[in-house]
Amino acid sequence: MHKPLGLFATVCAAALGLAFAVGPAAALKSYDSSKPSFWKNPPPDWFLGDETDAQKGLAPPAGPATPTSFDELNADLKKIKLAPGFKIEVYASGIPEARQMAWGDKGTLFVGSFGATNVYAVTEKDGKREVKTILKGLTMPTGVAFENGALYVVAIDKLLRYDDIEDHLDKPPAPVVVYDDMPSYVAHGWKYLAADKDGKFYIPFGPPFNIGIPPTSVAQIRRVDPKTGLAELVALGVRNSVGGDVDPRTGDYWFSENARDWISDDLPSDKLNHISHLGEHFGYPYCHQGDLPDPKFAMGHKCSEFTPPVLNLGAHVAPLGMKFYTGDMFPADYKNNIILAEHGSWNRHNYQGGRIVRIAVDPDGKNPKQEVLAEGWITGPQDYFGRPDDILQAKDGSILVADDWAGAVYRISYAK
Amino acid sequence: MSLVTAIKLGAAAAAAAFLVASPAFAGKGDLDKGRAKAIEICAPCHGENGWSDAPGVPNLAGNADLFLQWQLVYFRNGRRPSDVMGTIANLLSDADINNLGAYFASLPPVNIPETPDKNPQLTETGKALVQQHRCANCHGDNFLGMRAAARLANQREDYLVKALADYRSAARPSAGVGAMIEATASLSDDDIAAVSHYLARLPANP
Repeated sequence: MHKPLGLFATVCAAALGLAFAVGPAAALKSYDSSKPSFWKNPPPDWFLGDETDAQKGLAPPAGPATPTSFDELNADLKKIKLAPGFKIEVYASGIPEARQMAWGDKGTLFVGSFGATNVYAVTEKDGKREVKTILKGLTMPTGVAFENGALYVVAIDKLLRYDDIEDHLDKPPAPVVVYDDMPSYVAHGWKYLAADKDGKFYIPFGPPFNIGIPPTSVAQIRRVDPKTGLAELVALGVRNSVGGDVDPRTGDYWFSENARDWISDDLPSDKLNHISHLGEHFGYPYCHQGDLPDPKFAMGHKCSEFTPPVLNLGAHVAPLGMKFYTGDMFPADYKNNIILAEHGSWNRHNYQGGRIVRIAVDPDGKNPKQEVLAEGWITGPQDYFGRPDDILQAKDGSILVADDWAGAVYRISYAK
Repeated sequence: MSLVTAIKLGAAAAAAAFLVASPAFAGKGDLDKGRAKAIEICAPCHGENGWSDAPGVPNLAGNADLFLQWQLVYFRNGRRPSDVMGTIANLLSDADINNLGAYFASLPPVNIPETPDKNPQLTETGKALVQQHRCANCHGDNFLGMRAAARLANQREDYLVKALADYRSAARPSAGVGAMIEATASLSDDDIAAVSHYLARLPANP
C-alpha cells in the first residue's frame, strides 16, 4: 500500500486556516512512480503526480451524470461551427460515456464506453434508431472492432471476441478471450482497436503514469493476431495513444498520441505519428514533440535519436480516434485525409481541442496540413458541453463522431 | 469569519443560507419537478428539506448537484448496490435525476448548532488525517462539495463512517478515476471514526 501523502500534512495544516486566501494546499504533488507498487496500485490522483506551480490545481473535469437529452443536443449542436457545406446532427443519444465505434456487417453500430462498463448497439428499425446496452460490467471497454461477424472488445488486459453478435444482440454469447498477454494497469490502459487488411489489430499500451521509465510491457504499440493470439511489437516510446488507423494508400499504421502533462499550458504538443518501419522509437519518455528533451527523463538522449511526429497538433488538445477518409460524399480534397477527434484539455488553464480536424498528408508523412472541420464544444475556460473522442465513416460517406461527455453520437454530412 | 462564528451565524440563518448555497455545477434540472419528485419518494427517509433524522441516512440538502446525480445513476445501474435505493432509482428517468440533483443542491444545507466537542482529541486526529489525505483537493477548501465530490461538512457522523467504510471495501464506486476507493484503502476503523467526527463538526456555511 502506498503512503505518499504524509509529507504534505504540516504544510496543509497551515494552509487550511487560510483556505479563503491561498487555496487548499501550498505543497505540490509529487509521486515516485518508478516502482511496480505504484503501477499496480496508483494513488487516486496518479495523473496529478508531477504538479508544478504553474499548472497547480488543474484536474480532469467531471462530466454530466446522465447523457444529454436529444432536445438539448440539438440546441447545443446549433453552436458548432463547421467548414462550409457541412452539417452536423444527432445520430443517437443516451449512450453514457460513448467511446470507440464500429459497424457490424448488418448495419449495427457498436459503441464502447469508458467508466460506464458498457458496450452498446445502435440499431435501426422502421427508420427509428434504438440504443441497447448489450454488454455490462467490463473494465474500461473503450475499444471495439468488427471482423467476420464477430464483435471484438478490448477491456484493459483482455481482447474479447463475441461471435455472431448481430443475431444475438439481446443475448450475446459468452466471449472468447483471444489475447490477454497484457498488463492490468488501468491508468492509461484504456485502448482503441484498428484492424488491418489481414484482420490483425494494432493495439496501444500506455504507461501507468504521466512520465517516467515505463514498465517494459507498455509505452508501445503491438500488432495482435486474434486468430493465433500472437503479437508483434511494432513501435516503442509511445505515451498514451488512444486512436489510430491503417493508411488505405500504403497499409501503414498511423496513430495519435497524448503528450505528457505538467510542463506548461503550451508544452509539449500532442502528436500525429506514422510507423514506417518495424520497431521505431517515438521518443517517450526521453523526448517530446520531436524537439523537447524531457527535463528529467532525457537522461542524455537527444531528440534526433527518435522518430519525430508527422505533425504537432497542439498542447493538451488530446487527439483520440482518427480515420482516413475514403468516402465520396465530402469534397474531393478530403480523400485520404485523416479526420481526427480531439477530446480537449484538462491540464491547461484555457481548454483547447474539443473539436474535429482534418489533416491532409502525403503517404510518407510529408507536407501535413491541418484544418478545422468542426468546433465549438468548449463552452468556457474550463468547461464543455461535449467532448469528441472517435470518428467512424458511414456507408454513405458521412462520418459519425462519438462524444463521451454528452453520451451521444453525431453525424456530419456534406452537400454542395 | 472564524469557524465558531460561522457555526453560530449559520444556525440562525438557515433561510439566508439558501442564497449562498449555490451549487458549483450549473445543472439543468427543474427545481419544481425535482421538489415534487423528492416529496413523493425521497422525503420519507431524507426529509422533505433534505435534512435526515434517520441513522445511516445522509443529509442531501446543499450537496453538489453533480454528486447527487452520479449517486442516483450508480444506484440505478447497480454499480452502487442497495436494496432500497436500487429499487427507488430504478423508477427514475434521466430527467428525474437531473431534477432531483438540482432540487437538493438548491436547499439550505443542514446546519447543526455548535455543541461542546465531547472528543477534541478525535477531532484533532481526524483533522490531521483529512489533511494528510488531501480531501480538500476534490471536496473543496471547506468541504462543501463541488462537481462530482460530496459535501462533507456537517454531514451526519454515522453516515460518514458508513460511506468511508463502503468506499474502503469497494462496496460503492467512486467518481473521478477511483479516487475514493484508493483514498480510503489505508484507513483503519479508528481513522474512519476520527475523519468522520472531524468533518461532521465542520460548519455548513463557513
